[in-house]
Amino acid sequence: MLLNLKNIYKWYNVGGNRTFILKDINFEVQEGEFISIMGPSGSGKSTLLNIIGMLDEPNEGTYNFLHENVFKLKEKQRAQLYKQYIGFVFQQYHLIDELTVYENIETPLIYQDVKTSERKALVADMLDRFNIVGKKDLFPNQLSGGQQQLVGIARALIAKPKLILADEPTGNLNSKQGEEIMQLFKQLNTEGVTIIQVTHSEKNAAYSSHIVNLLDGVIKR
Amino acid sequence: MKNRTVMIKNYFKTAFRNLIYNKGYAFINIAGLAVGIAVCILIFIIIQFQTSFDGFHAKKDRIYRVLSESHRADAGGISYEKNVPFLLPDGLKTAFPQLEQVVPIYASHNDELQILDDNGTPVKNFKEQNGVFYTSPTFFNVFDFPLLSGTYESLKDPNNVLLTKEIAETYFGDWKSAVGKTIKITGYYSMGAGLFQFPATPLKVSGILATIPPSTDFQLKLVIAYGTNFTGDKQYGFQQPNWNQSTPDFGCYVLLPPNISADNFNQQLKGYASKLQSVNQKGSYILQSINAVHHDAQTGNYSSKTISKELINVLWLIATFILLIACVNFINLSTAQAVNRAKEVGVRKVLGSNLLQLQTQFLVETFLVVVSAVVLSILITVLALPYANQLLELSLSFNTFSNPAIILFIFAITIIVTALAGFYPSIVLSRLNPVNTLKSKLKASTTKGVSLRRGLVVFQFVIAQVLIIGTFVILEQMDYFMNQPLGFDKNAIVNIPYRPDSTGNNLTDYLKQKLLLNGVQAVSFNSNSPIEENNNTFTKFKFDHAIKDADFQAITKFVDDDYVPTYKLQLVAGKNLKPSPFTQEFLVNESLVKSLGIKNLEDILNKEISIMGGLIKCPVVGVVKDFNDRSLHHGLAPLLMATNSTMYRQASIKLPTVNIASTMQTIQKIWEQTFPNYVYEYRFLDEKIANFYNQESQLAQLYKICAIIAIFLSCLGLYGLASFMAIQRIKEVGIRKVLGASIANIVYLFSKEFIILISIAFLIATPLASYFMNQWLQNYAYQVTIEWWVFASAGFIALLIALLTVSFQAVKAAVANPVKSLRTE
Ligand SMILES: Nc1ncnc2c1ncn2[C@@H]1O[C@H](COP(=O)(O)OP(=O)(O)OP(=O)(O)O)[C@@H](O)[C@H]1O
Ligand SMILES: [Mg+2]
Repeated sequence: MLLNLKNIYKWYNVGGNRTFILKDINFEVQEGEFISIMGPSGSGKSTLLNIIGMLDEPNEGTYNFLHENVFKLKEKQRAQLYKQYIGFVFQQYHLIDELTVYENIETPLIYQDVKTSERKALVADMLDRFNIVGKKDLFPNQLSGGQQQLVGIARALIAKPKLILADEPTGNLNSKQGEEIMQLFKQLNTEGVTIIQVTHSEKNAAYSSHIVNLLDGVIKR
Repeated sequence: MKNRTVMIKNYFKTAFRNLIYNKGYAFINIAGLAVGIAVCILIFIIIQFQTSFDGFHAKKDRIYRVLSESHRADAGGISYEKNVPFLLPDGLKTAFPQLEQVVPIYASHNDELQILDDNGTPVKNFKEQNGVFYTSPTFFNVFDFPLLSGTYESLKDPNNVLLTKEIAETYFGDWKSAVGKTIKITGYYSMGAGLFQFPATPLKVSGILATIPPSTDFQLKLVIAYGTNFTGDKQYGFQQPNWNQSTPDFGCYVLLPPNISADNFNQQLKGYASKLQSVNQKGSYILQSINAVHHDAQTGNYSSKTISKELINVLWLIATFILLIACVNFINLSTAQAVNRAKEVGVRKVLGSNLLQLQTQFLVETFLVVVSAVVLSILITVLALPYANQLLELSLSFNTFSNPAIILFIFAITIIVTALAGFYPSIVLSRLNPVNTLKSKLKASTTKGVSLRRGLVVFQFVIAQVLIIGTFVILEQMDYFMNQPLGFDKNAIVNIPYRPDSTGNNLTDYLKQKLLLNGVQAVSFNSNSPIEENNNTFTKFKFDHAIKDADFQAITKFVDDDYVPTYKLQLVAGKNLKPSPFTQEFLVNESLVKSLGIKNLEDILNKEISIMGGLIKCPVVGVVKDFNDRSLHHGLAPLLMATNSTMYRQASIKLPTVNIASTMQTIQKIWEQTFPNYVYEYRFLDEKIANFYNQESQLAQLYKICAIIAIFLSCLGLYGLASFMAIQRIKEVGIRKVLGASIANIVYLFSKEFIILISIAFLIATPLASYFMNQWLQNYAYQVTIEWWVFASAGFIALLIALLTVSFQAVKAAVANPVKSLRTE
């Protein structure tokens, strides 16, 4: 078992009232799974993915990652997990504005102390694979939304993570591009990478081995 | 019209709200500026005091001090001294009847004063190291020292004395009852190389002087009528005609008539001097304006406190730079904040506000900050002044009522700082483009500000590092002064003032025996210590029956035969002095032999040296190895030593290694039994030597404080910038963390830029500081070389403190939960 969530609750206090975003989520992921989280807008998909990605903490519940209680992880261990295990694709891309496309993709490798020559080769390979070689010296604000999304995916994949968390990874891409990304995910999955993606598209969900439906913060089977 | 007041009100209202809203930055700005302004005010008060010396005399523009100009081998060309021949004032009076006033003044030291009751029996003893002056009533025609009772004219008659109110109260309890009372004075004076005692002389208190203000170099305590004692004695005193020697501690002041300029009179003086001088003299006299006296460290003055013009300039410079550092903080923070203010500016512009109105708005805000800072700085000044006084041994006060210049200065500072700190940010902020600002795309427009900000940070750290390096160099020089082997033993030696009697060596032999029986290691009676600062008597001498004096002067010390062993001086040729109450033999130092051009030390032995116009003529019997006979401000000088029991003024006692306290008690008992009429005092030699370097140690303290303040202010600015950066880059930090950045990575991200800036500052500060500090070291005959580690550690300290400051913010940013920053906007 890779991770499991037990009795997860997440709420916000809005105007003195508790608004529940997630209610009693129980959720388990095995290594090598390819899961799609689906549901209407505002149903709590991103929130759930953020909790899985340890970006956010629930108000209640337990969360074990590789049999470790996530809430007791030290800052250092968490950084270690991001470095070696998890690749994150954000719904809002979250590229670093001050860095070029090339540098954005390169950043995770720097944190992993990959040698310069090796880094070059890996980044070049990624640029090539996503067809953005020509854009490598541009800054994020000089890219279209779709291009930014591609860079974000490239950046998440470059360090060869064992777990990919992707929030609407193809939301801004055309259907052909989207399909290619899904193919890529599928292939990575067969190589043993665990993937959890949030998606609105049935077509994308079809690539996964398992679909979780979220409605008003509750998992529907 | 009404509209305008509304607008101004509006300016202040918004400005005030903005400050409240940005409490953190406002605090940093106000605190930083307040500290900077407080330093300025303090330095202003210090400089104002130091430059006001003897400025309260109504005739100050016409008062001049007469200096002797002479050609002394060791000073390399012309040198000036404040001592003049005793007959000079009278000579000037006759030669230049146009002089309005000619004032002779003798500053006496170490006088013993005995208070007698109405029956003439002694009641109390006092000792005054300084403050006892002999002068004529003309002194008070020139200088303004008001009387509370009595007359200045009473000083026409010998044996009258004026006391200051404070001294009268110390001696008699109540100054009103002091008038008419009698004080007995005992002391000594020096002529040529000799020290002479004068018999105990009764003085009648003929008047009381008002409190002497601190801002004068005449710190009068007792003013004795000129003509009393040795000042009037034609047989043994100063009245012996002897034009060639200037009289130690004897000076002359003149009051020029309004129609004669100093330059003009100096010309006449030269002519006058050349007529006076005998064949082998090349000396002259020159007038020095009274307002230069306090700044003339080389010739000194009667208060022994001087402050050079250079030091005053350095102080101004430091004040300016510290204020600039504080302003830079303000500028940096305000322009950095431009991003946050962008929306406000955009909205205001869209609502029709013009550039000028916006700039006024920001200047008003700056003005509010500066005014708050000034108020706080006054508080800081008042609180810090006692410490400054303690450090600098002054008694300054922050009195805005009696000192309108301070109010003016504070007012000026408020305006200048508002302009300096507010002008640039107001332009940057008001120029923000409304379209960009409303879209909040600030990247391009803020980058310009960034490079200026970097430049200013570099500027701050250049100053901070120069000050740190300066502090280190001064401390290193101090350390050198303190620990440099001087060539004699200075440890556990205590000096106790001694009064000779007429029994030759009987008294000294008696005391020596008593002391040695009580366990002290060695005792020597002598005129002064191996090393002296102001207490050296230079004398002319003739060598080996020459007709002319040697072309340099030598320091003379009268010492007994135990001086050499007590101070562990090394004989390099010949032998030690033989015990004798009279002067029969000379010891010289190597330097004297060399200065005479003699190669072989042995060759000087048995040659005759004659001093005091042939009064003393004796052969040289030995040569001692050179030791530092002057403070390390100067090189060592040629030296003559001889026995003479009437010239001894102190006992030098080498204490045992154990039981020092009880030995000191025994010594005191012996002294009080032997000299019941005198105050018992003692002084350890190493403390006395440390005191030579008081000015340097004060300077070191001052530099240290300024360096700390400069670093503090610079880091306050960095802290603000870093906290600002942290907010700006919070999203980036979040992303990087998800990409695997550790806390260390994030801290490095923040610190990298500052490390580069501080390194640049270091590269600029190092040559600057080394230039200035080498200039400073030129003042000293003995200098340390500035070692590389001084620069290295200054750079390291600046870097370390800056990094700690930045890291604090960086760590805060790094441990923040990423989702907060990455959440959808
Ligand atoms: N800080 C907050 N305070 C209050 N409510 C919040 C906060 N953050 C998120 N929410 C609410 O939580 C709910 C779930 O948000 P979430 O981003 O998880 O939705 P989602 O399923 O990812 O939607 P979408 O498909 O549009 O991305 C939303 O209704 C949102 O309004
Ligand atoms: Mg979402």
